[in-house]
Amino acid sequence: MEANQQIKTTAVKGTDTARLVRAMVKNIYQSAHEAKANGQKVAYMMVASQYDEILRAMDIVPLPTENYAGLCAAKRDMDRFLLKAEADGYSQVLCSYARIGLGFDSLRKELGHIPEGSPDGGMPVPDMMLGSSAVCDPRFKWFQATSRYLEAPTFGMDVVAPPPQADLNAVRDYYIQYQRDQLSGLIEFLEKQTGKKMDKERLWEAIRLGDKAWQIWYDIDRLRVAVPSPMPSQDHFSIMVAGHYYSGTQIAVDFYQKLYDEVKYKVDNKIGVIADEKYRILYGGGLPPWHTLWIFNYFESFGAVFVIENVYRGFDPVEVPSHVKDPVDYLAWRAFLRFTRYHEKARAHSGSPLVEKLLGLIDDYKIDGVAFHACRSCRATTIGQTHIKSELGKYTSIPMMQLVSDMVDLRDYSEAQWKAQISAFIEALEGRGK
Amino acid sequence: MSAVQKIEELYNERGKRAKELHDAGKKVIGYFCCFVPDEIITAFDMVPYRIQGSQNDPIDEADALLEPMACPFARSCFNMALKGEYDFLDGFVAPHSCDTIERMYHIWRSNKPSPFNHMINVPHMMGPSSDVFYRKELDYFIKRLEEFSGTKLDQNKLRDTVKLYNRRRALLRELYALRKENPPRVSGTEITKVLVAGMGIPALEHIQLVQDYIDEIKGRPVPKADVLPRIFLWGNEIDDIAFIRLVEECGAHVVMDDLCTGTRFFWEDVSETNDPLDGIANRYICTHCPRSLKPQVGNRQEDMENRFGYMKEFISQWQANGVIFYIVRYCDTCELEGPDLREYLNSLKLPVLMIEDDYSTSTIGQLRTRIQAFLEMIS
Amino acid sequence: MPFAGIDIGSTMTKVVVVDDKEKMLASHIGPTGVEHRHLALKVMEDTIQKAGLQFENLNFIVATGYGRINVPFADKQITEITCHARGIRSLFPSVRIIIDIGGQDSKGIKLDAEGKVANFVMNDKCAAGTGRFLEVIAETLGINLVDMGEIALKANGFVQISNMCTVFAEHEVTSRLSEGAGVAEIVAGLHEAIAGRVVNMTRHLGIEKDVVVTGGGAKNVGLIKVIAGKVGFPVLTPPEPFITGALGAALVGKDFYDRGVRPAGEREKKEVTFFA
Repeated sequence: MEANQQIKTTAVKGTDTARLVRAMVKNIYQSAHEAKANGQKVAYMMVASQYDEILRAMDIVPLPTENYAGLCAAKRDMDRFLLKAEADGYSQVLCSYARIGLGFDSLRKELGHIPEGSPDGGMPVPDMMLGSSAVCDPRFKWFQATSRYLEAPTFGMDVVAPPPQADLNAVRDYYIQYQRDQLSGLIEFLEKQTGKKMDKERLWEAIRLGDKAWQIWYDIDRLRVAVPSPMPSQDHFSIMVAGHYYSGTQIAVDFYQKLYDEVKYKVDNKIGVIADEKYRILYGGGLPPWHTLWIFNYFESFGAVFVIENVYRGFDPVEVPSHVKDPVDYLAWRAFLRFTRYHEKARAHSGSPLVEKLLGLIDDYKIDGVAFHACRSCRATTIGQTHIKSELGKYTSIPMMQLVSDMVDLRDYSEAQWKAQISAFIEALEGRGK
Repeated sequence: MSAVQKIEELYNERGKRAKELHDAGKKVIGYFCCFVPDEIITAFDMVPYRIQGSQNDPIDEADALLEPMACPFARSCFNMALKGEYDFLDGFVAPHSCDTIERMYHIWRSNKPSPFNHMINVPHMMGPSSDVFYRKELDYFIKRLEEFSGTKLDQNKLRDTVKLYNRRRALLRELYALRKENPPRVSGTEITKVLVAGMGIPALEHIQLVQDYIDEIKGRPVPKADVLPRIFLWGNEIDDIAFIRLVEECGAHVVMDDLCTGTRFFWEDVSETNDPLDGIANRYICTHCPRSLKPQVGNRQEDMENRFGYMKEFISQWQANGVIFYIVRYCDTCELEGPDLREYLNSLKLPVLMIEDDYSTSTIGQLRTRIQAFLEMIS
Repeated sequence: MPFAGIDIGSTMTKVVVVDDKEKMLASHIGPTGVEHRHLALKVMEDTIQKAGLQFENLNFIVATGYGRINVPFADKQITEITCHARGIRSLFPSVRIIIDIGGQDSKGIKLDAEGKVANFVMNDKCAAGTGRFLEVIAETLGINLVDMGEIALKANGFVQISNMCTVFAEHEVTSRLSEGAGVAEIVAGLHEAIAGRVVNMTRHLGIEKDVVVTGGGAKNVGLIKVIAGKVGFPVLTPPEPFITGALGAALVGKDFYDRGVRPAGEREKKEVTFFA
């Protein structure tokens, strides 16, 4: 989008630390290219699959294809990849992250090299692909389709979570057992690919770093309850890179420590994102509109700041029982505990873990309004928003809105419509006399 | 009443028989997709009911609760539930088939709860540990049904229901065998009615009906051979005749399918194992739905053979010379599978027409040109 | 030995009569329209008269187009995909790819070396990438549809129009205008968007020389230029792009007749019933 459409505010803006992320993103792709040159193994992978630390422990360089799609959109260089995938026969309603990934791989194969000018140097051909069923369906199916464009050993790992009504005492053991079996299957696959045994001590070390980074990240988010907001959601969409793409490394720990110190300083000195914070908004869900992130500044021009969000967050810390002595068991336990974190609460109250989580955020962060982003090509983060909105409405009367576009496909976005909706939302906030 | 007439009635008045049974005190358990074992529900002396949508009715009420980028089949089912058309269900069971069904389960349960609600987590990966997990999920499902019904599952009864459903499967395969002839003795449109009629009645009644129907067909005069294209249909949910009738009206025979509402739910038998649940678990975890991922085998060609090879028999024995994909829009796994499958079928020299549809008879006419042009192309 | 083809579109009906040497004897275009559905028969009669013939002289009548399904006086109904392929091939024997940009939909057709349809694609039911899309936007801009191509040629670059949903694109055009973008540049942007859409759809078939663009879109010089740019080489257009479907229909009828196929039933000189 042309610069003249960016809405400038008189904001103090976000944190300085968030600006370091740009280099970290570049480094993801840079390291992958370097690794290929050094004979180190590079893997296409899916973030938040509960296997991140295993890759670190086995010196496998992660190449997150979804992140690459978001990056292309943020750079407004997605059309050539989307169109390529569509010309190859993929539906225009298929997950647009997958369309970008498939289109990129298709173009790279057709050209025999990385497409000219690809954002951050593009992705090299991976040595292997690691899909997972965590979060959504395309994440385990996409890499199978990618085999049209490149031949690489591919592994799909199941990640399971019980429904909120399940009797946890009845299902816990076999859910954890299955998760452990799936993780072990992945390790066996990786050992075959690398020709090396996994070192359990190194896995413990990666887990320790992973947990530590996420703990600090969680602490940062707790600091964000402060008024005025020290760190907006725009920053979250950058800083989550450390937690999701550098999970299990010292880099992530150091980054979050630095960010913690900065946010703490801003809280202590009451330095807000904007000078006159009128409304505190919760980003209720849906993948971010990577193509038009300046829209958050547009909200700020009305005094509305996104103070906390419900997407790409780390999980709340969980306590794995001390009898768990094996790192793979630990990962299986941790996944189960993360996924069932709000189950008990849900059963006792609204029935929905997500409603519980959002109600908690609305309360803790003194939220004045909630905005959701429905993505036309993302079933997993979109279906249920309308329902959740109406469920929340049973417990709170704050205004809520749902913007519709897509996470990366600009063809689904209408600026005029959004601005009209945002105006109406701001009026609703004003109407509540704040 | 002839079998044809009975089928016509059951097809047109879906849920009527199940409602009668419900009113007579039987428990009717509604479910989605091909991952919920009928045998288990039937062994509890309950009536399994495969939930269907309605392509003839617009989706209106559901739109206030379920986003329009969700699968329109699921939205249609939920719309009917909101309108009270599934009030006869005593139980509501959803497998975790896909993102849409999983999300919808929670929304449905919250807005239109049945006396019994349950979700079965079905592994997306195929392999030994997945079999174990799915078996455990079935054990848990049984435990919940035991609590709901106040009775223990009788293993002998379960063995009997396995036999019962295998009888139904054998009969349906016998019916399908009549499609091998030229022209097929039974049309795709007729087959759809027979299958849909069976989705809402006890297996025993369906068995009788299919048996009578086969007898009636065999009594029909044998038509002259023709040269119309023979179509193999691949896709997800087709519980209405509109689409298949359109293909047949355009001048083709729909002779075979790989659909959730077709061969996927009945083709393979359940092995009669010592512990009947072993056979059931092994059968129901493998249904050829693209949402289930087979581990990669060898190079791409070998892998595709491993994924799609089972269709070769369908194509050769039923002598299909064209394939139509019918994908209910927004099905991510079908949309990722489609181009791979097309490549595989093209390598077998089979032309493919890929159609994405909105699961609505009001827009189906727009597909006519596409289908007709495809048939002209392969004729 | 004359043969007739009638192509009934949503707004226009086109009729072509050819002789057994495939020479065109007459052609005629008239309105169809939902309110004027009986006019399809009138267009037919006018063309026959133009050719100095009578209904009974026609050896075969093939109906095609959107309204082909219920034509009481046609001997067969064939899709516009097969008909366009046949018609264009008679005009351009070297054709391998046809892009048809019509009022309601657009199509890509691939022909094999023998000129038979090898594969095809059609746009989805929305208006994006069709004449209707341009028509709606022309209205928004207050200009004539027929002038759009020329206007686009005068543009200095183009304004990116991302939305292909007609309603969204209308919004987008309005906001670009309010930001001071020029009409010519916006029109050029719309042509970019449509050409991008249809060419990308056609890529699915594998683009090969020669490419012929037909249908109403072929009349738009601005659009043709952008399509050629995207394809990477010059594209051909028939002298009368509106009637290639009807021409093909007449020729398909002749092909049937040559293979010994004869009209099966009685032709009824009744009006065409639409969308039955």
